[in-house]
Parts: sequence; structure tokens; C-alpha cells
Amino acid sequence: MTTIALPGTDSTTATPQAAPPVRRSGAKGGTGGRAGRAGPVTYTLLTLSALVSIFPLYWTMVAGSHTNAEIAATPPPFLPDASLFENIGAALEQAPIGLAILNSVVVAGSITVGTVLFCTLAGFAFAKLRFRGKGLLLSLVIGTMMVPTQLAVIPLFMMIAELQWVNQLQAVVLPTLVSAFGVFFMRQYLISALPDELLEAGRVDGASTARIFWSIVVPVARPAMAVLAMLTFLTAWNDFFWPIIALTNSNPTVQVALAGLGSGYVPQRAVIMAGTLLGTLPVLIVFAVLGKQIVGGIMQGAVKG
Amino acid sequence: MATVSFQQATRVYPNSERPAVDALDLDVADGEFLVLVGPSGCGKSTSLRMLAGLEEVDSGSVLIGDRDVTDSPPKQRDIAMVFQNYALYPHMTVGENMGFALKLAGVKKTEIAGRVAAAAKILDLEAYLERRPKALSGGQRQRVAMGRAIVRQPQVFLMDEPLSNLDAKLRVQTRTQIAALVKRLGTTTVYVTHDQVEAMTMGDRVAVLKDGVLLQCAAPAELYDRPANVFVAGFIGSPAMNLVTGAAVEGGVRLGGTVLPVPRDRLARAAAASGRVTVGFRPESLQLVGPGEGFEVVVDVAEHLGSDAYLYTRLAGADPDDALHPADVVVRTEPRSSVVPGQSLWLGVPPDALHVFDPATSQRVD
Repeated sequence: MTTIALPGTDSTTATPQAAPPVRRSGAKGGTGGRAGRAGPVTYTLLTLSALVSIFPLYWTMVAGSHTNAEIAATPPPFLPDASLFENIGAALEQAPIGLAILNSVVVAGSITVGTVLFCTLAGFAFAKLRFRGKGLLLSLVIGTMMVPTQLAVIPLFMMIAELQWVNQLQAVVLPTLVSAFGVFFMRQYLISALPDELLEAGRVDGASTARIFWSIVVPVARPAMAVLAMLTFLTAWNDFFWPIIALTNSNPTVQVALAGLGSGYVPQRAVIMAGTLLGTLPVLIVFAVLGKQIVGGIMQGAVKG
Repeated sequence: MATVSFQQATRVYPNSERPAVDALDLDVADGEFLVLVGPSGCGKSTSLRMLAGLEEVDSGSVLIGDRDVTDSPPKQRDIAMVFQNYALYPHMTVGENMGFALKLAGVKKTEIAGRVAAAAKILDLEAYLERRPKALSGGQRQRVAMGRAIVRQPQVFLMDEPLSNLDAKLRVQTRTQIAALVKRLGTTTVYVTHDQVEAMTMGDRVAVLKDGVLLQCAAPAELYDRPANVFVAGFIGSPAMNLVTGAAVEGGVRLGGTVLPVPRDRLARAAAASGRVTVGFRPESLQLVGPGEGFEVVVDVAEHLGSDAYLYTRLAGADPDDALHPADVVVRTEPRSSVVPGQSLWLGVPPDALHVFDPATSQRVD
């Protein structure tokens, strides 16, 4: 008998077990070849999406340079003309747009800085620190997302009236300095992007929790912080509901000032549109300057996660 | 440099009834390289983390030198740790990574630069000081992690499976380098691994843990030659020691159809509780003998490795379905032997190479 079934042979060998080779994080799968190349369908869809996205802005320019009657005509005008600048001038005269833009920069800027800072701190605590009642607290924070803003408006107004903050910027800034969404967003990001060993290495190296936060957590969280900053800035810039209650036209944000433009007996749409264009420009500039960095941040996070 | 001492140190994780580390008593001498080894979940990493201050000690104490550090935070323990995944700060350069602890300690910039440069020279990292970790290979990252530990000149090095992310070849190479480096620095080192080859080649002493309990702590040779119990016997050595349990009969233990001689007094003590005896013999200590002299096995597989060959066999006459008492026997033989699967062989064990264990307690009987 020379050949038999070989039961019970295990894989033990005499040499040290070779572990499967470790895939280096730097090694990226190639995306070249046919699969990675966009075809005409993709380009058509992308072009359509771009046009749909750009159209409202373009229409703002068109509507900002024609009278109510011209806009209502059939077919409507499709090109902006020089009267856009006249209407911008009219908007600047009729409402304190300059002050409004300044106020909006201060308000949206403060809210963004505050939200990013506090949400990163809280997100870090919820993601990585051990403390009593963590689960309950997190549930409470997330629970606040389900409470509609409208519900809080009256008590909030009573509070700021009590503090004599009506028509002052802190009335708009303070209530939105931290957001439940932001806390949750940063927590989720840090759970996946920040290995526990990194914090432990920091502790062994002699860093306090505060030092670990500034020197280790913040650099790792930067991509998510950039995304949160962008979202927060946009939301704060476009916010209308609370600012129109807390502020007046003597000290408005952009959205409040634009509402003032439309308040005449017969609203001049061209002036409103010209003002809207003016109010949108700073945000567009921010995107034009920081867009690449923001998208880069999102990508970096995706690879790390 | 300092001694390290665990005194009845116990760690029970929240929501767990069984301790992860159970009343660990272990002393590490000044300058000693001690390896903690064991299978996954045996408590070796937890023990190391208790020493680092990253894990609470529920009862007992941990001492570094004469200081009781049981409740001290990591930064007050004067230790440096190398993590399994290196835990390099991704946004800092190699030099900044290595100097971070010194910076926190308020060491002057010029001294930091000097110490980082010295460590980089030892570890052959001088060309990479300005690079970020992501631009380094696995082996280089591992060296940076080592560098981060040695610039601190701590009292104790703690290493948590620092080689497990490297490929097999680099692991062997780095293993030697770390052992040589630590010997040169003379710093007390506690090293955790699940790889018994690493443990045997690097440690001055090796502590084997299982289920949170320290089973044996001894020099590698002693661990190999005189394992204290069945687990250590099976864990240390590759291929593992053959362990066979059989009924105690007059003059020895019944293996399949034959009787393997066991000295009378050891046989009596090992079989006292259960009437059975576990015997162990290493693959290299088995000798081919004439028919009828030892015990008979049938070859299942012959593995030729070039330098030697291993025969995977099973005891002739053993019940193949008896899962509780496996009858597999591994034999090391000369390379290029003409043995083929299906062939039957007679094997003998020299008396001094025979390990006897009490199956009731799993403990060694001498």
C-alpha cells in the first residue's frame, strides 16, 4: 500500500509561520484603464448637472437686470444687461447691504469657529474618552436634533429680550455656537479616523488630555473640521428665520436686509435680485478660494477612514 | 533602568466576570529582556498595558523600581512603549515624532535635536527625519517607533507585538536588531508577542500566559526542556511537542497497540488521579527503532523542507475517532528520507526526552 487518503494532516510546519504580507497603506489600486475613463454619457450628465446648478445664479443676474414687466413677458429675457449695476446701486441705497454683509461675515464666521471648536471637543469626548453617563448624554445631544427650531423660538426670544440683546449680533451667534449634528459628525469621524493607540502613545509620551486634543486630535480631525466649517458657514450665512426675529433692519444680516428690500407696496424684483446677487458673492468667493482644499479634505478623510 | 514587579496584579474588564489578568506575580530584573507570550486573549497585552498605566489595576500592585505606580498616570512612570501598529503621529515628521515626548517634558530644543539625531543614527533613519510616516515603508515606521522609545531613555521599554505588522523576512531581521539594540542599551524590557519563536529567540526569560494566568516563567532553554504543564509543552516549540494520553499499564503507558515505557514512580504519580497518563516527546527526540521495540505509527504525510523532513503520522491501532486523545505524532527525520505515506514505522523515545504529565491537573511529573 503506497497511496492512502491523508486524514488528519495539519498545517504545522517546521519553519516560522509566514504571515500574509501586509498591504502598505501607500499602495493604491490603479484606476487607469477603461473602467476609470468617463464616457460621453457621463460627460452629458455632468454637464446637465452643472447647468442645473448654475442656472439659479444666472437667472438672478437676468432677473436683476430687468423690470417686473420685462421678466413677466413671454418669452422672458435670457441675457443680463448693464442695468444690473444700476439695480445693485439701488439695492445698496434702499438697504444697508454693506453693513449686512459685514454683519453676516461676523455672525457666520463666529458661528463657524465656535461650532467647529465645540463640536470637535465634544465629538472627541464622545468618541474616545471614558466617562460616566456617556451613552445617555450622547442620546440627549442627538435627541435635540429632533426638536424643531420653531419650537424654541419664543422662549429663546424671551431670553434674549431679558438679556437686552435684541437687535445685537450676539443674539444670533450664541444660540447656534454648537450643533448636535456637528457633535455627532465629529464623533463619527474621530471614531474611525483616530486610532486609540495614537492617544495612548500621547499619554505615554507625557501629554495631558488638553495637549493630546490640540497636538494629536485636531490635526487628525482637520479634514472633517473643514467639511463641518463649510456646512456651518453656509447654514449660518443663509439663515433667515431666527435672524429676522432677533435683528431689525437697522442692524441686519444679509438675509434680513434682503427681506427688507422686498417689503415695499410693489416689490421691485430686479432690486431684490440684484441685492441677492450681492449677498451671494462672498459665499461664492469663499468657495472659489477654498473649494479645492475642502474637496481635498473630504477625499483625505475618505482614504483614511 | 529599573526592576519591574507585578504583585497579585488583577484586571477584570467591565461587564466581564473572568479576569483578563488574574493575580499576576512576576518580577523582572534590572536590564532583563522579558517576553510575555501566549495565545490571543491570554492577558499578555493587558498585563503590559497595566504596566504602562493604560489599563486600570483592579487589585494588587505594579512596581517600577521601588515605586508603586499602580495608580500613577503613564507620564509619571518613566516608560516608553512601542505599539503594534506603531501609533506614529501622522501629521508630524519622523524627527518630530521622535522628539515629541522630549518637547512635552520641556527639554531644550538643541538637546532634543541631539538626542533625535543620535537615535536616528543608531536606527539608520538619518535620511528620513523630515519625512512623514505615510512616506515610509513598514520596516522604517517600525524603526521610527523604536526611535521614539529610545530617545526618551526611559527606565523600562514596553513593546506590544512590534513585529507583527512586518512581513516574515523583515520580521526575522528586525527581531535580531531589536534584541541587539536593547542588549546594548541595557534597558529593562517587557515584550509581548504571540509568536513563540520570537519569544524563544529574544527573551532572557519567557513568561507563558493562558486565560489570564501565568503558567511558567523561565529561560527559553528551560521552558523547552522542562515545560511545567501540558499547555507550555504544546505551545513552545515548532512543530509542537507530541502529546499523547493513554491508559497507564504495568511498566508504561498504552499507545495504540503498544506500551511506551515510563519510569515506575513517575507513572504512579501521574496516573494516581485518573488512571491515565499524558506523555510528551518532541519531534526531534524520536528515534527509528526495530519492529517491536518502541511503538508503531503509520505515516500520513511526509514534508521535505531541505534541511530536514517532518513525518506526520498516527499511532497504529489507535481509535481514529477518539477526539479527546489525538493520536497524531510528528517525527523529525533526516532530509530526503525514503519514507512514503502509508508506510509503517517503529519509534522509540529516549528516557531523558520523555515528558510525563498528570492528565487530571495537566502538571508535569518529574
